[in-house]
Amino acid sequence: MPKLIIDDIAVEVADGSTVLEAAQSVDIPIPHFCWHPALGKAGACRVCAVKMLEGPVKGIQMSCMLPAQEGMVVSTTDPEAVAMRRNVIEWLMINHPHDCPVCDEGGECQLQDFTIAGGHGIRRYTGKKRTHVNQYIGPDIEHEMNRCIQCYRCVRFYQEYAGGCDFGVMGSAGRVYYGRFQDGRLESPFSGNLVDICPTGVFTDKRARFRARYWDYDMAPSICPHCSLGCNITPVARYRELLKIVARRNDPVNGWFICDRGRFANDEVNERQRPRSPEVDGRETTYDEALEALLLRVGEAEELYGPGSMAIVGSSRLALEAAALLPQLAQSSAAGALCYFTLQAEGDRTLAAYELLSAGKSASLNDVRESDCIVILDCDPLQDAPMMALALRQAWRSGAGVYLVGGGIELPCEFTRVATLDAVPLAEAKRSVIIYGTKGYNGVTTVASWLTGIAPNFTKGGLPGNLKLACLFPGPNSFAAALLSREHGAVSLEEALADGGIKGIIAVEADIPEQLLEGVRFVAVLDWRKTATVQAAQIVIPTTAWVEMDGTYINNEGRSQRFKKVMNPGVPVKGEGPPLHPPHIHRSVAPGGEARPAWQVVAGIIEGLGGERITEPLSGQWEYLRELDAESRGVMINDL
Amino acid sequence: MIYDPIDIALILTKIALVFFVILTLAAYLVFAERKVLAWIQDRKGPNRVGPFGLLQPLADLIKLLTKEDFRPIGADKWLFYLAPAMAAVPAIMIFAVIPFGAPLVLFGHTVQLQVSDLNVGLLLFMALSSIAVYGVALGGWASNSKYALLGSIRGLAQLISYELSMGLSLVPVVMLARSFRLSDIVDAQSGCWFIVYQPLAFMIFLISIAAECKRIPFDLPEAEGELVAGFHTEYSGMRFGLFFVGEYINIVVLGGLAATFFLGGWHGPFLPPVVWFAGKVLAFAFLFIWMRGTLPRLRYDQLMHFGWKILTPLALLNILATGWWLVLRG
Amino acid sequence: MRILSDIAAIMTGMWITWKHMFRRPVTVQYPEEKRQPYPRYRARIVLTRDPDGGERCVACQLCSAACPVDCITMQSAEGDNGRRFAEWFRINFSRCIFCGLCAEACPTLAIQMTPDFEICKRDVMDLIYEKEELLIDGCGKSPDYNFYRHAGIGVTQPRGTGVEEMPPVDVRGLMP
Ligand code: SF4
Ligand code: SF4
Ligand code: SF4
Ligand code: SF4
Repeated sequence: MPKLIIDDIAVEVADGSTVLEAAQSVDIPIPHFCWHPALGKAGACRVCAVKMLEGPVKGIQMSCMLPAQEGMVVSTTDPEAVAMRRNVIEWLMINHPHDCPVCDEGGECQLQDFTIAGGHGIRRYTGKKRTHVNQYIGPDIEHEMNRCIQCYRCVRFYQEYAGGCDFGVMGSAGRVYYGRFQDGRLESPFSGNLVDICPTGVFTDKRARFRARYWDYDMAPSICPHCSLGCNITPVARYRELLKIVARRNDPVNGWFICDRGRFANDEVNERQRPRSPEVDGRETTYDEALEALLLRVGEAEELYGPGSMAIVGSSRLALEAAALLPQLAQSSAAGALCYFTLQAEGDRTLAAYELLSAGKSASLNDVRESDCIVILDCDPLQDAPMMALALRQAWRSGAGVYLVGGGIELPCEFTRVATLDAVPLAEAKRSVIIYGTKGYNGVTTVASWLTGIAPNFTKGGLPGNLKLACLFPGPNSFAAALLSREHGAVSLEEALADGGIKGIIAVEADIPEQLLEGVRFVAVLDWRKTATVQAAQIVIPTTAWVEMDGTYINNEGRSQRFKKVMNPGVPVKGEGPPLHPPHIHRSVAPGGEARPAWQVVAGIIEGLGGERITEPLSGQWEYLRELDAESRGVMINDL
Repeated sequence: MIYDPIDIALILTKIALVFFVILTLAAYLVFAERKVLAWIQDRKGPNRVGPFGLLQPLADLIKLLTKEDFRPIGADKWLFYLAPAMAAVPAIMIFAVIPFGAPLVLFGHTVQLQVSDLNVGLLLFMALSSIAVYGVALGGWASNSKYALLGSIRGLAQLISYELSMGLSLVPVVMLARSFRLSDIVDAQSGCWFIVYQPLAFMIFLISIAAECKRIPFDLPEAEGELVAGFHTEYSGMRFGLFFVGEYINIVVLGGLAATFFLGGWHGPFLPPVVWFAGKVLAFAFLFIWMRGTLPRLRYDQLMHFGWKILTPLALLNILATGWWLVLRG
Repeated sequence: MRILSDIAAIMTGMWITWKHMFRRPVTVQYPEEKRQPYPRYRARIVLTRDPDGGERCVACQLCSAACPVDCITMQSAEGDNGRRFAEWFRINFSRCIFCGLCAEACPTLAIQMTPDFEICKRDVMDLIYEKEELLIDGCGKSPDYNFYRHAGIGVTQPRGTGVEEMPPVDVRGLMP
């Protein structure tokens, strides 16, 4: 724990930290381009110069390269250091084009910020600038090489961190070029992080190309809904259009990055045709009429088929707020069944997987990154939860052994194939993780029986101390669905429909296969996606997408995380009204803005059925989640 | 008392004449005020409606009549409607006792150019001018608005500060004329105007009537810089118009009284008496406008201080001095 | 004595206002008489074109960021050959305070203030000017600047042939 003094402030930092990190820990910013907390140092940009006044080294030094040592006295404001930084930035800017106005990075550009902060305000160089020809690197990312300042962050991330091999650095001297050998889509499923990590506008998100500026963005901390890991994201919206999604730091979960599946996922939200206004029998109505019609038909179903003829169906993608209200809805509508899963196999496997985790030994992504022995069993991380694959690559980079039971999948690192779990040298590992899935395999039962073999009472906390489990669930809130299923004795819809007693279904953001709906007379759907179920339903009440509301997901390790409302629901302004500009009319609700969060609709139905009025969806056992901070690391369910 | 029908007709004619002249004069005073202020400020003033803007008062009248008559929520309806009339009517009633010309002989009748030659004319003036302040007080109170209420409170406080000195400043006039009747006072000045004997009383009276008409530098009840428009903040349309016109009637009437008490009323050489009287009234009106274009507004406490600690003692001393002088002179 | 100096002060004031009553008024009889504003007068805003006739505005949103009353809104879009332009661009003149900060912020010299101050409308909605009403056929006050000739992204000329540019490097070349 070296102690040093930076600008008269005494700092004590962990061993191995750099002077730059030490300064950051006391909020002294030092401009830097090549250094990145997740990538470490490269010493390529020379911008982070500081002057060492006392200690083992003296004079101008690169603060990102210099480990903090006892007795150092550092000045970031020394005229010599300031001049050095200013001159280095001026050199970096010599070839930089004059195009901030047409650059999508403008406003959120590290180069802009540090150029101004570094004191280089006016260009003195009047000579010619070197230029490059850009490449087509896929439909998601725009390449504009002229803006590059040779910090090497992109290659370091792409090749070292993410294990991609189709992007690299070419050329020499002033001609250094970062790109592919020839035009073509970037192959890595993590390529989108280049947008975040490049300190300049070389890589920008094509979906948000020429759409808005940072100061106009609607932004809020959010959670990715595209797999069960619950990576932290910041969606960016403008004019009711989801423009882009960028990664948000959460060290125990995704760290600094997210995968391309979560990043390039705007279309679903921006889809003009998604359910936008309530419909009864294919006719657009108001929210109140749709609610009335729904209540009427629930009543009719009870009259015609007796009580217990309705089924309430939730899903793995339904946020906790609505999911927690479903048991109440089932009760007040005298439903015959409460379901959180549609197919029996899916339900059973998820529940079993959840049982294993309730031993309290679930591994976070950070645990995976830090483990030294990883077993992958009947799942495909790159497909089911890409960030898990990136995490295990980091473990492999720091020397962990990666073992794949069975085969048939790719991983972004080297691995050893083994036939069974017993063949893995788990006993020698200090921090091992078993990763298993729930998708159509028998991984859960294998893990369960293997665990019973080594630790008969593992469900009661008897798991070996160095072993953790990570499960890849089917949806972002599967953990909560399984937990609620267990608590309320919910069955899968498939089972509920088996005896033919169910004649009506209220599906809350649930995807129900068509064959299951055959014998059902009445289907009401609350959803924001245009699913097959929505098309088959008689009553559709639109709900808000996750970026349009506040909510909670419980991720695969049992971590509750809050997402906040980013934008108002409504048809994107883009393409609205007269072709050139939006209309000159005032209205209080945006077109297509009638959608409400699913929990509010559910609460409305409960109230309509004679239940109490619900103003706060998280009550009872969930009450402690009300104040959950979206910018926190989340709260573990099992810890409570 | 039995009246001759010709007397009655004459009285009615005089009333109609006075009404017409006073109201027109008030309307044109508004115009004159805007013009003079504009000249003072190097502007041109209203010059669009009619030649030199002379029809501006008419345009203003039409505008006021066609504006929405607005009453704030929670206002006291009847008081709110009554207050503007309470402000305007007493002002015009005071004119009943002012002689505005030498008596004429018409159809064998001697016609006093005065609506009513009351023997307590001066007291009537004091009484009516005190009633006028009810318009301000009630208007502000009934509006149910903070600004209006503050304005009316100021109006009342101002009243008690200057009424006393105004009354006291007139005592020497009565002592000199030995009558409360205004025509007697005018007659007493046929030789020498009282301003010569009573310059101090004149100054006190002048300052007091400036306060009475709520003119700058004593326009505290309105004080648009502080109270939006003071007691008539919430008024609109013709009700606001009544307050407004009442103020200008006040100027005419008080100008007339000042002329009557100190400047010899209609007395003057060469020109006909009515012209002399009108000239004196207009001179006072001009003085008020000129003052408005020049002076800043006093503070609330300054006015009270000035009224109670300076004007009232001075007026009392003046009475003593006058009495002493009268006794000495016999 | 204070009272005397006070009276003197009042009299001085009255004398000054008296003198002003006979001064020539400074008023201009608008609309019959009009003053010609200076060329740099800040009134109705226009969007200009570059010397080659292209729209100058690149919809960079700097003007809308600079505007203290937030009366500029726009949507940028990508045109042919990668030109960034305003798909729609509106200025709400009922809010504009004609401070000129937008024109100062504009990096392409597109948005400029003109001396035309006569923009009254009966309907306040008509004061929302769209791009069609803002865009003029001319360069305004800066006749020869074309942003795209200096920006490094091509558009008006092939990449590497702009005013301050070298031809694109050959990455695979082996020359030092
Ligand atoms: S990368 Fe940054 S500095 Fe360079 S043009 Fe883009 S916004 Fe400007
Ligand atoms: S492309 Fe971006 S990240 Fe890569 S070296 Fe250039 S500036 Fe750095
Ligand atoms: S007018 Fe200028 S500042 Fe405004 S968006 Fe267009 S180019 Fe940018
Ligand atoms: S002149 Fe000022 S207020 Fe008007 S649009 Fe420009 S920046 Fe906004």
